[in-house]
Amino acid sequence: MFCRNQTTRATVARCSALEMEIRRGRFRRSVFLETLQDSDIQKKIDHEIRMRDGACKLLAACTQRDQALEASKSLLTCNTRIMAYMSELQRMKEAQVMQRVARRSSEAGPTDDRRPCKGKVAISDLRIPLMWKDTEYFKNKGELHRCAVFCLLQMGGEIHDTDMVMVDRTLTDICFDNTIVFNEASPGFDLRVELYSCSSEEDYSAGSTPRKLASKLSSSLGRSAGKKLRAAVDPGAGSPTGGGATLLLPVPATRWPALLSGAHTYHLLAHTSLSLAHVQDNFRTHDLITSGNEECTYWVPLYGSVCCRLAAQPDCMNQQMMSGCLKVKQLGGDPQSSTNVYGVLKGTNLSCYHRQEDIESNVEPAFTIAINKETRIRASEKDPDSNVQSISISNLYGGEEVTHTVSADSRQETHRWMEAFWQHFYDMSQWKQCCDDLMKIDLPSPRKAALVTSKQGSLYHEMVIDTAGDIGTVTDILTRRMQELELRSQLGTSPPWMSLFAESPGRQRSPRLAGHSPRTPRRLPRSPLSPSRCPRPSLLSSDASLTSDSDSPCSTSPCSRHGGLAEPLSLPSSRFRPRTLSLDAKLSTLRGRGYGGALQCSCQPPTSSLTPIPAQRVSQATLSCSSSTSSNSSSEGRRSPESLDSSPFSRPSSARRSLRSMRAKLDPRNWLQSQV
Amino acid sequence: MSFIPGQPVTAVVQRIEIRKLRQGEHLILGFSIGGGIDQDPGQNPFSEDKSDKGIYVTRVTPGGPAEVAGLMMGDKVMQVNGWDMTMVTHDQARKRLTKKNEDVVRLLVTRKSLEQAVRHSMM
Repeated sequence: MFCRNQTTRATVARCSALEMEIRRGRFRRSVFLETLQDSDIQKKIDHEIRMRDGACKLLAACTQRDQALEASKSLLTCNTRIMAYMSELQRMKEAQVMQRVARRSSEAGPTDDRRPCKGKVAISDLRIPLMWKDTEYFKNKGELHRCAVFCLLQMGGEIHDTDMVMVDRTLTDICFDNTIVFNEASPGFDLRVELYSCSSEEDYSAGSTPRKLASKLSSSLGRSAGKKLRAAVDPGAGSPTGGGATLLLPVPATRWPALLSGAHTYHLLAHTSLSLAHVQDNFRTHDLITSGNEECTYWVPLYGSVCCRLAAQPDCMNQQMMSGCLKVKQLGGDPQSSTNVYGVLKGTNLSCYHRQEDIESNVEPAFTIAINKETRIRASEKDPDSNVQSISISNLYGGEEVTHTVSADSRQETHRWMEAFWQHFYDMSQWKQCCDDLMKIDLPSPRKAALVTSKQGSLYHEMVIDTAGDIGTVTDILTRRMQELELRSQLGTSPPWMSLFAESPGRQRSPRLAGHSPRTPRRLPRSPLSPSRCPRPSLLSSDASLTSDSDSPCSTSPCSRHGGLAEPLSLPSSRFRPRTLSLDAKLSTLRGRGYGGALQCSCQPPTSSLTPIPAQRVSQATLSCSSSTSSNSSSEGRRSPESLDSSPFSRPSSARRSLRSMRAKLDPRNWLQSQV
Repeated sequence: MSFIPGQPVTAVVQRIEIRKLRQGEHLILGFSIGGGIDQDPGQNPFSEDKSDKGIYVTRVTPGGPAEVAGLMMGDKVMQVNGWDMTMVTHDQARKRLTKKNEDVVRLLVTRKSLEQAVRHSMM
């Protein structure tokens, strides 16, 4: 309370006239003393000054254009905030002085300090349409004139800025996705929306200008470039730091001249003010007041309006304004019965719960009395029985007037309830349309990474790689993906379009002699599931399907030899891998490690189809074969689709094969291998 | 084994005669091929010249007809039954090898060791 660095009076002398006035309750003590608010503001100012210094340093030090633009944007925001805080501090000091003056001049009557409740105001989905000349739209050559724009939103002391958006002639609207919420807004708020822009041309940085200038002078300057140069040289074009003369400086060691020359300074392009009248639960279009003209470097052709959603949530709508125990009697109902309830005044309702605990347990209120603009409340006569004043609340429910008589326990309680009702009505009259219904305000959620839509195709399309170039995480993602695929195929889910490729079940092909079309003879009559199998069996592990294979008898010679399949392959593969470790190679080592050792009997073809092997087993077996062969070949670092014609080691259904091979063939990253 | 497009290719080749093995109703040769003019030659681990789009043998199944006939992994297939394999797509190559009415395929393959052997023998 007593702050050394504040100059206004900190203490009130005892028994002074001022103290007497304060005692009478006419003036709050805080008006004359340094409040917490002031020190708050001072802290905020200090914080912003520090941020500003940091932004200046960053601007001087950064080399990238977009870094410089961001730094410049935060610099501008800091400046505006500092100015706003300072003006608020000034206002508060003035208010104090005025109060004191008012007191000394005359006896100030009890001021009616009924103030409306505060609320939250949110502005979101800002969209500013642009109006390029049609020549600009269709101009294909010529450099793209780009501008960096952002919006500054100011309400009272709260200043927020949106993200920066780069605008060029390919954009039809400037869209800001941010949702900005202002807390502590009063109904008479004034939300100022300002659009700042800064041109982002390459030949504008002082560092490279001399070189570019030299090159441009050798060839003639184009019209637009000449205009820009003229605008830069002429400080009257609205650049606040008219340092155009520094444009022709020799290449400086630091970027400080860039700051001075106005290369990264934002200029006000347009502004507008929004108030309570503009608040609506929908999108509305408002007019913009533009400043600047075509000749300015920072010019962006605005259509002249801004579209946004301005919503407000007054506190009276979403907070409990008053609560307490009440006795409610409904006139016209049972005259003698009055219910003891716990009433809560919130929004447009007085909700009456049986017990106070019901609110926490989310039980529905016993009944609800509407408190809205049409409600009439008056204090009624003292009840002769209980000698307590009661309040009658009348509503019009569909033409019928329904009156509830509400009485509290004591006189003070009743008085407090009346006060609450009056305040509520006042709030509703001040916030007008915002009190009709609660407007939704979506709090800005942390940005989620864009989900990669999984195109059917190679695994590469489905991967979402967050860290750049980290092979370890990539292989982790791949293993996870493969496990997911494995699970999915085992569950039998399949994309709906697989049915297009499904062969009609029930088509049985008898074993054919060589020379006929290479259709698999092992299609079972009842295998409707197999065409709809997950169409990426080449990626499946062979682990799950090995068990099924173990039942089928192994023929000796191919099987035993295949047991050692992995070994000779893994050695030559390392010999024949001349390139640096790529994703393919990593993938192959992953596969080779995981599956190379488990290739027992997996290459053995399933036995004749005369025995009705269940569809799942067969498909798993075939999948295993295909996967084993694929993993064999992939141990050298490639994927391999099965040859349709003469693959003895697998009998996948032709639909799956064709789909797989088609997909594999379509992917240019694959280096196809075919088994012959 | 690099070649200049348009110029005749000279290579030391080995004749390999593979008798197809009948397994059920399929005729198998017992090896895998990779490459082709429609494939990315940079991914070929066996080729010396990474712009070589020829057909290479990427895998030989042990005990299969190809191994028996002497085909080795890494061989570049130059001809199959008289048909050229240096300028074919992957699918064309596969089809030339897997004709149903042929029991025997005669390949001309080349490998690095062959050239070295010839050079050594000439010295």
